[in-house]
Amino acid sequence: MTCRKAKKLMPLCASDDLRPRLLAAVRAHIDACLSCRKELGEYRQALTRLKAAAKAESVPDWSEGDWRALMARLRPDASAARRPTFLARPRWAAASVLGVFLGLAVLTMLFKDGNLGQRETSAAGEPSVVSLTLVSQQTGLKIVWFLDKNFEWKGDEN
Amino acid sequence: MRMNETEKELVEMILSGHTEAFEPLVTPYRQPLLALAYRLTRNREEALEVTQEALLRAFRSLARYDVSRSFRNWLFQIAANEARDRHRKRARERAAVEDAAWDKPPFAGPEAGRERREIRSDILQCLAVLSPREREVFVLRDLEELDIKETARTLGCSSISVRVNLSSARRKLREAIRNDFPYLEDGR
Repeated sequence: MTCRKAKKLMPLCASDDLRPRLLAAVRAHIDACLSCRKELGEYRQALTRLKAAAKAESVPDWSEGDWRALMARLRPDASAARRPTFLARPRWAAASVLGVFLGLAVLTMLFKDGNLGQRETSAAGEPSVVSLTLVSQQTGLKIVWFLDKNFEWKGDEN
Repeated sequence: MRMNETEKELVEMILSGHTEAFEPLVTPYRQPLLALAYRLTRNREEALEVTQEALLRAFRSLARYDVSRSFRNWLFQIAANEARDRHRKRARERAAVEDAAWDKPPFAGPEAGRERREIRSDILQCLAVLSPREREVFVLRDLEELDIKETARTLGCSSISVRVNLSSARRKLREAIRNDFPYLEDGR
């Protein structure tokens, strides 16, 4: 390793923040190079001084009034911290049930000669049109979708 | 550093509705959190606002907290994000004011004046030479002593980015100490 590369890596070498392989290479260079060793010493010293100055520095602390006021602000917000439960969210629960129901309906239609829809059969006996009926439990609205044998949408009926 | 058992119990209590457990959970971190915000913002009032907002956010997002992680570092992450958001917002506002008054004599504004008055300690003056990202990395890695991986996680960036910024920050600080704070170099 050259001095130039070692000096580039020196700030990170000062507190062993390099990857182990690179750190070993820099250390090997430093052991053999007085100038780089001196520079590493300076970095380490600067870091130590800064950390000591930071520890000795007086940093602000909360006044009891500010702290109490913050804790009081959290009280009206109490429901926000609670763990969300599935049952506590009826809309999500209803949507999930509806999704499962629709999924099951589609699967039944795909894998069985089911009774879900009316089928038209082609001359070869293959069904050519499939219909899927969706009924809203809330409004009673009924929609029928017609799909061909490739499941391409052919039309609907309200 | 992982979450201890007492903290886990307190989190469970809060999530089951005993929100009064939040105070004993965060009390050990109230001063370290404020110190972090102070070093990132270099302004006492703003640090207080950042910390308050961070604690409120922590309270609201507690259900999403990963208990395998250090609670302190999670709080630090929220505070660092809040400080960064505020810094960006202030920079945008300042740019807008400068755009609006480009032909008027330069006016630093009350914020800048307050900041100048606030910069008192040596360490804060040293930190002033760093870019916001370098300052975040240096404060978390060197002053709060998080490791590289945890610093990256806290700041939402890669370990490579942390190393690059840390290297640059230490280089600048060494220069600043050498040129402006020789007594720090001498250890006085």
